[in-house]
Order: sequence, then structure tokens, then C-alpha cells
Amino acid sequence: MRPASPVPVAGPYDVVPGPALLAGTAEGPGLAAHRDRHGPLPDLDLDTLLDLTTRARVRGRGGAGFPFATKLRAAAGRRRPVVVVNAGEGEPASAKDAALVGAAPHLVLDGAVTTARALGAREVHLVLPGERPDVAAALRFAARERDDRLRVHAHVADARFVAGQETAVLELLAGRPGFPVTAWQPASVAGHRRRPTVLSNAETWAHVGLLAHRGVAGYARHGTDREPGTTLLTLAVRGRRATVREVPYGARLRDVLPPEAWGQPALLGGFHGSWVTWETLASLRVSVDRLRALGTPLGAGVVLVPAPGECPLRLTSRIVDYLAGQSAGRCGPCLNGLPALASALRAVAAGSGRTDRLTALAGLVERRGACAHPDGTARLARSLLAALLGEVDAHLRGGCPALAGTALGAPTRRLHAVPAAPEGAA
Amino acid sequence: MTRLRVDWPACRGRGLCQEVFPELIDLDEWGYPVLDGPVPDDQVARARDAVRVCPTLALRLVGG
Repeated sequence: MRPASPVPVAGPYDVVPGPALLAGTAEGPGLAAHRDRHGPLPDLDLDTLLDLTTRARVRGRGGAGFPFATKLRAAAGRRRPVVVVNAGEGEPASAKDAALVGAAPHLVLDGAVTTARALGAREVHLVLPGERPDVAAALRFAARERDDRLRVHAHVADARFVAGQETAVLELLAGRPGFPVTAWQPASVAGHRRRPTVLSNAETWAHVGLLAHRGVAGYARHGTDREPGTTLLTLAVRGRRATVREVPYGARLRDVLPPEAWGQPALLGGFHGSWVTWETLASLRVSVDRLRALGTPLGAGVVLVPAPGECPLRLTSRIVDYLAGQSAGRCGPCLNGLPALASALRAVAAGSGRTDRLTALAGLVERRGACAHPDGTARLARSLLAALLGEVDAHLRGGCPALAGTALGAPTRRLHAVPAAPEGAA
Repeated sequence: MTRLRVDWPACRGRGLCQEVFPELIDLDEWGYPVLDGPVPDDQVARARDAVRVCPTLALRLVGG
């Protein structure tokens, strides 16, 4: 039995209408409403599209933040290119692509179709989330509403954390089980059946679509000079419905978080993300570059907050238990290292573990797999020591301090039993 | 710069690579190779040996 996710997979969420991607969605997700709002799809040549996406600095929204124009440039001029829309969200805490596909599927498809035409690609592949049949159906329906004179193929990805990894998606497209494999070359050079493949997350495609409609000036009405436009965030306080919000780059995180999150540490970037204290969180702005420079990347835009009074160590331990169970089990260091990491973390949360063991195991799984799953899990474990060392030390001294659940500081509560440290323990 | 790269899903941790090239290849606690940086120019032949002995063809020499 694989451990269940501490956040429900494909859980319910609310969507707050936004300024760009999620604007005007009250008219519904249909093609007619979409064309009324955005007009016909402009026909862009490759140079124009490269210029637009370079100047607007479109970054991948699947987690890595890779510049879209770099992928496009790498695929350009090669034979028989392929375009892939990855609408699967492996991360249980994320709902932003589901929300986007539900609200504006044609913006996603516009981005993919514009790019396919500019590249001369004849095939567009849609990768649909197995765990969200409603989202899969919405994107299939939208694709059938249009006639783009392209071959559109739909594939359903497994409800597995690693199923959204780039090489896992390429395996799925090739008709094999969707597990990550070693990539010797970038997908943009040799991807689907070794053809140049521009594979991006659904939100990334929607930004390309919006940019094609509006041009750089229109697109850059939101955001900052260095990072134009908006991005989707999934804000999730454990035990409550998640909220998907579209925020301009440069927005203060504290302004977009719900009041229940105030005063709490948060997991920025979701299960593969990093812990940040409330003090840090309150000072941060939504920015791919800034957050990456701080060592707490935004990832796919999840901000996960523990329930008030919930112990972040226990939550991390449960997440790592889940992540260890989500390993495809094909790479030795991940297969062995993630369960070991999970066990080391359980020991620390129970007051008997060692932080040096945690650090050593994190080092043993990083960059030693076919995908980013071990790296993301190691990042989560390391961030606990970086951001919440006081909490960790308190556990190792035999206590679980209450979180400062409010700005005023909550009274100390023991939320789970922590055995006394053994005699002579470090 | 020449490097050894492991095809992790293919690697079964048999450890033969470490036996022929222990200066650059270590094994972790589960028996999987830990590569210690790029291959020095004068050691490329050793690295090729390591690639050759892998029973699952999981090691490759890349770059350079």
C-alpha cells in the first residue's frame, strides 16, 4: 500500500477570476465566448512568435520555470516537430491547471495551435490528468469544438506524482507506461519518437495564447518589467478548500494569502517545494527569479499552509512518506533513498532522529535519477532544516512546540506525543 | 569536459564500474555508483573500461 497524500488528490477548489488568463470567464469556456473576447487566432510566423515570447519572457509554469523561447528556438528548423500540452498536475496540492482548463481551455489550445503553425508542426498532443476526469473531458470537448486542421491526439496520464515529468509524458505518448526515463538530449531536440518536441504545461500554453492575441504591450500590462504578465497560484490551507488565483508578477505574497495562512510557515512550491517562515513569506513577492535566488523556487505555484496548530515536521514527514511511495521505483537511489529519507524524517519528528542523516540522504538522492522527483523530495527535507531549525531542534530535545498560530503567538500546545530523548542523545 | 553519466533506470547496482575505476567511482550504501566529478583527460581510457564492463549498459561517457 502506498501512503496516501496528506492533501486530497484532485480535491475541490475555488477559482478567483483574474486579470488576464482568468478574465471574463463568467461567459463560460465555450469557443464562441472565447472568440468574442479575444478575436480570431492570429497567424504568427516563427520569428514573430520567438520575438514575442522572448520579449515577454514567457517561462514554463510546470515547475522548472524554463524560458519558453529557448525550447521553441531549439525545436525550430528541425524536421517534423511536435507540440505537447501537458495538462496533468502530478502534485495533489495543485489545482491551477485544472482551474485553467475548466475556465479557459481555448486559450491553452490557442497557444499550442499558434506554436504548431509557426513551427510547421502537424501534430498536437494533449496529456490529460487521469485523476481529474472532468478536466480531461473539458479539454477534449474544447479540442472538438475547433477545427485547426491539425492532428490532435489525447492521452490520459496516470494519477501518479511522477507521471507529469517530461520524459514520463514522452513515454506515455510512445505507448509505453508513463514512467520517467533518462533523457540524453532535451525534448526540444529529440523528444516524441526522437522528433523535436515543444512540451509545455497547460498554463504555459495559455500564456503563449494570450500573448499571441494581445502582443507584448497588452500582455505586459500586468507584472513587472523583468517579469511581465501574471501567474497562477494554488493557495491551500490544509483542511480547507484550495483557491486558485491569478496574480501579477511582483505581487506581495501576503496580499494574496487567505487570512488563515497569516502567521504560519508555508510550503512554497508544494510537495517538491521549500518551507519558508511567515516572516520570510510576508516579505516575498511573486517572482520566479527572486524566489529561485533565495533558494525557495515558486515551482508550479503552490503555497501549502499547515492547518492552524499543525506540526510542520509531521506534515513534512507525511508528505515524504507519500512521495517515497510515488517513486516509479526504477532508479536505485530513489527506490532506496526516498524510503530511507522518509524513515529518517519520521525519526526526527518523533524526537529520536539525526539531522545529519537527513542531510546525507538528501545528498544521496539529488541528481541521481531519471527525473526531478528525488531532487524535489530532497529539497523539501533540506528546507525543513533551513527554515524551521528551531522546530526541528525542539523535537530532538523532546518537545513539539506549538506553531505561532497567530501573529500574537499561540500558547504552547503539544499536538503529538514526542518521546523523551534517550539518555546521552545528541 | 568528459563525464560519466548513469542511465539510472537501467543501473542495477552491480558495482563493476567501481571495481575497474575506483578513483572516480564510489558506491553508495545501496551499491549504486556515486560519480566524483568529470573524467580527467588522462583517465578517459579507464572511464571507457567502466562503461564497457557495465552488464546493463547503464553507463555512458558524454561530452568532451
